[in-house]
Amino acid sequence: MRSGPATSRFRNNTTAAALALAAAIMLVPANILPVLSTGFSGRDRSDTILSGAADLWHQGSWAVAVIVFTASIVVPVLKLAGLGWLLLGSRRPGFGSPQRLTKLYAVVDFVGRWSMLDVFLAALLTGLVQFGAISSVTPRIGIVAFAAAVVLTVLSTWAFDPRVLWPETP
Amino acid sequence: MMADPPVPKVSRAPAFPLIWAVPLVALGIGGWMCLRELLHRGPEVTIDFSDASGVESGKTVLEYKGVSAGTVEAVKLRPGLEGVSIRLRLNSDAASLARAGSEFWIVHPEIGFSGVRGLDTIVTGVRINVLPGQGAPAKRFTGLDKAPAPDVTDVGRTFFLRSDRLGSLTAGAPVLFREFKVGSVEASFLSQDSTKVLIRIHIDAPYVDLVRASSRFWNSGGFSFKVSLLGGAELKDTSLESLITGGVAFATPDKEPLAPSAPNGSLFDLASEPDKDWLTWAPRIPVKPTESTAEPLPKKSILTDLIKP
Repeated sequence: MRSGPATSRFRNNTTAAALALAAAIMLVPANILPVLSTGFSGRDRSDTILSGAADLWHQGSWAVAVIVFTASIVVPVLKLAGLGWLLLGSRRPGFGSPQRLTKLYAVVDFVGRWSMLDVFLAALLTGLVQFGAISSVTPRIGIVAFAAAVVLTVLSTWAFDPRVLWPETP
Repeated sequence: MMADPPVPKVSRAPAFPLIWAVPLVALGIGGWMCLRELLHRGPEVTIDFSDASGVESGKTVLEYKGVSAGTVEAVKLRPGLEGVSIRLRLNSDAASLARAGSEFWIVHPEIGFSGVRGLDTIVTGVRINVLPGQGAPAKRFTGLDKAPAPDVTDVGRTFFLRSDRLGSLTAGAPVLFREFKVGSVEASFLSQDSTKVLIRIHIDAPYVDLVRASSRFWNSGGFSFKVSLLGGAELKDTSLESLITGGVAFATPDKEPLAPSAPNGSLFDLASEPDKDWLTWAPRIPVKPTESTAEPLPKKSILTDLIKP
């Protein structure tokens, strides 16, 4: 059992639900807006997460494409779905036993931070690939939405109090 | 007697916890982001090309005046395999390019004696260029196979030259007056009975009056070196450009009164060599300097100083 923030006013499931909802909203622009634009000889192209992964796939980098797709699209969506499931499960029965829900919570909590992969990638590329007119990489607004979604999901997981998964014992 | 204990303040749990402001803010920011992106997008146009080699969806850009004005979104064959359709998304600031009369063409690298064009496309891949039209907004266009003639606004005049052989004249070769370029060779073709070669030249607007009915044309291309016993050695030289690409020169007799200006479409003979006296002709013909003169003229005082002996 965790201590500390568990007792604070911040840590309750309303907060978790609100943050999860905010994260879900931010995932929409994160996926439909370009996250990165790469310039080559003064010519720009912008990629969304999906088009970037698709481009990697077409270029034959299947492994990297799968990693990007998993880390950037599958994981955040599944994590939010898991959180939603937990929040529902804490309110009404029928979503699984407390043991299983707790295990799900552990998984969601663990996986959370790994989704920042994309943000770090964008930050790294922006720093590394700057050759003036020849080629450059610039982060676009989508990456901000993506980072916001990831941070909000992490906060939501943190705000979620797993104790409520267990029936109160008198 | 003890005072009554203070009445405890009972605050109800707020009906709307403050934390719900977070998703609201997220909705606002996310909506604004999407809206901004949508507003940045301009209209979508479809352009039909007979050939679209090098055009790639998502990569090839439309450029106008050297600035990106849109991106190709899809390239596909037209039904019946008669060509290629390109779907292009314009930027919002370039929306007014989607007008009837706009001409689109694909820029390939082109290296010829008349100049190097689109050299950057060797590295970046092809791009699409546009010459905006003036008509009503339109969604569908037919692309040109090659760039439209550069001087669409320049009227000038067109003349035909008749010659026994083409020499080294190519389209784009200069037409020279006193070794100053006043026009260019546009096309060449065989006469109908194939006994002559016809060459179409174009004289730029400010210089049309230089061509008179009595003007003589000769082929100034290449160089020749003649040695004769009596005349000594003689080197025919000309401008470097016409040395490489060939060219046409002409002169107009200075005998007063001057012959009338040659009308559009006049036919002249093209000599292979100028007569000696052609080179001495110096008619006084005013030319109209226009806005299209490439270099600005020097200040008037300087100009008159230069002209005065």
